[in-house]
Amino acid sequence: MSDRTKILLLLAPALSIIIILFFGGLFAGLLRSFNYMPIIGLTEPNFEAYISVFKSKEFYLSFILTFHIAFTSTVISAILAIGSALLLRRNFLGKSVINFLFQINLTVPHLVGAIGILYLFSQSGSFARLAAEWGMIARPAEFPELVFDPYAIGIILQYVWKEIPFIGVIVLANMQSLGEDYESVARSLGANRWQAFRYVLLPLIFPGVLSASVIVFAFTFGAYEIPAILGANYPAALPVLAYRKYTDVDLAARPEAMAMAIVIAILSAVMIFYYLRYTRKKIRG
Amino acid sequence: MTHVSIKKLTKIYPGSTEPSLDNLSIEIESGSLTALLGPSGCGKTTTMKMIAGLLSQTSGDVTFDNISILNEKPENRGVVMVFQNHLLFPYMNVLDNIGFGLKMRNVDKEEIHQRVIEMLELVKLPKLEKRMPKELSGGQQQRVALARALIVQPKVLLLDEPLSNLDAHLRFEMRDLIRNLQQSMGITTIFVTHDQEEAVVLADKVALILDGKLKQYDEPDVFYKRPIDEATARFFGGQNFINGASKNGLFESSVGKFKIPEICMKGKGILTFRPENIQISNSKSTLNSVKAKIIEKIFLGTQTRLKLSIDSEIIQVIANPNEVENTETGVEIFINFPPSSLWVMPK
Repeated sequence: MSDRTKILLLLAPALSIIIILFFGGLFAGLLRSFNYMPIIGLTEPNFEAYISVFKSKEFYLSFILTFHIAFTSTVISAILAIGSALLLRRNFLGKSVINFLFQINLTVPHLVGAIGILYLFSQSGSFARLAAEWGMIARPAEFPELVFDPYAIGIILQYVWKEIPFIGVIVLANMQSLGEDYESVARSLGANRWQAFRYVLLPLIFPGVLSASVIVFAFTFGAYEIPAILGANYPAALPVLAYRKYTDVDLAARPEAMAMAIVIAILSAVMIFYYLRYTRKKIRG
Repeated sequence: MTHVSIKKLTKIYPGSTEPSLDNLSIEIESGSLTALLGPSGCGKTTTMKMIAGLLSQTSGDVTFDNISILNEKPENRGVVMVFQNHLLFPYMNVLDNIGFGLKMRNVDKEEIHQRVIEMLELVKLPKLEKRMPKELSGGQQQRVALARALIVQPKVLLLDEPLSNLDAHLRFEMRDLIRNLQQSMGITTIFVTHDQEEAVVLADKVALILDGKLKQYDEPDVFYKRPIDEATARFFGGQNFINGASKNGLFESSVGKFKIPEICMKGKGILTFRPENIQISNSKSTLNSVKAKIIEKIFLGTQTRLKLSIDSEIIQVIANPNEVENTETGVEIFINFPPSSLWVMPK
């Protein structure tokens, strides 16, 4: 048996799962998005579901909201993660404790975090009650609308809380492997602290930041559970909208749900492509 | 041209009680090339980083033309450090790497381009401005790093082990290039090395640092002729050490009396001499001559190394191969110690 066959056989279990579940699901979804569902008598593929999606005002509002959530969460998380990594790479008393605390929420599931946000930041949550107790507001209901709000503040808060350590750990490892010599060279060549960061350290850690933030963007753009728990009812994030269509009692709405899911995947890929192109040019240019 | 004065410079790293650098004081003349020589971990690079402002000192001072620079930020000191592993910015081409310092000083793009081209000519790398660092050889990268440092016309240039990552033939080329550029531009230059040969060939003066302490600061030949102690002599390849005492221009030891230079110390000490300064003869001469037995003879191509015993003392001699062609192991010969080649160090 050749080495190549051996490798293929060893990889077969993992590959078959990927091929059957991922590509199989994708293919089935694609067929349904073209209105091909023989089970309910739709046997003529067409673009009706896509036309319906692109004609819907709700879809565009949802897209804007979803983009806002993914973009804002990614940018804020990346900036704060870089800042945290810059602090954590220094030596200080209690560094290991702070490092542990910084990473601890990596182990907390998104859902648990979302419930925490709900308990803390909703208008019936702990902060609202404390604010009312301390006389800062008359009633808890006067607390600013941070959850179920049109600007998705609660959702962004949850994502930022969860993703800072994710990006931060990658960036910190990157910075530690680089050491400080490159910045030292820049400083001795006349760069001030900011210039050494902007022109030397940032481009050096950029591949790590980019990879991590692309993962965060793709995840936050396509995630369902957090917008479902913390988001406003209207407009809803795209995955929530797609799920609603999918679970509609009318089976005929499913092609539209699938078309929406395919559009989410394509938009996500296109935005990541342009994000990579723009940021690479901007940072290293 | 900048005169550098290092005064009682000390560094104790956090968590350590022993100083990595202990009270280093040296005066470096304007436009000179000085080597900080010593084994790994002796405090050489620590000294450089403190001069460059990349590391804070525990105590002491560094002045440029009698003005302390320790309160200046690294970017304002006029010091540029070239690191051992070149550290070219990997995402910038040669042009941007060399022009980096000028860009930080807001120099016009056109002027940067012009000056980089001139600098590339100077370091003998013309037309390579578009290349990326990974497309350059080790020697080319080192030249680019040097050009990047020189283009900002620093007051003081610091070179950290500038030749250690280069092949032997590139090392010779680079050595000459550094020396020529340093002399033509007149930049006060300090370089760190663990290689005594490199220090001797390149430097006007050498500061030998062992275990964080300055052992000797002198012109290169002095380290061979008049080492301050046994550790210094050994660092410079000294192999011959005979215990005894000096008095009235004579050194008395178990193997005989030797006439020594008047400037040698008095009292108990160690007599030392270079293996290459010993003369071999078949007959006893009148001065500083002893009989020795050859116990080992190794032909090294251009020279022959002899291990000789004089009573209980073993000494090493490097001789001309023709001179000892007919001598074999076990044979007794006479060796002469020219007084000017002898030196006595404290015990």
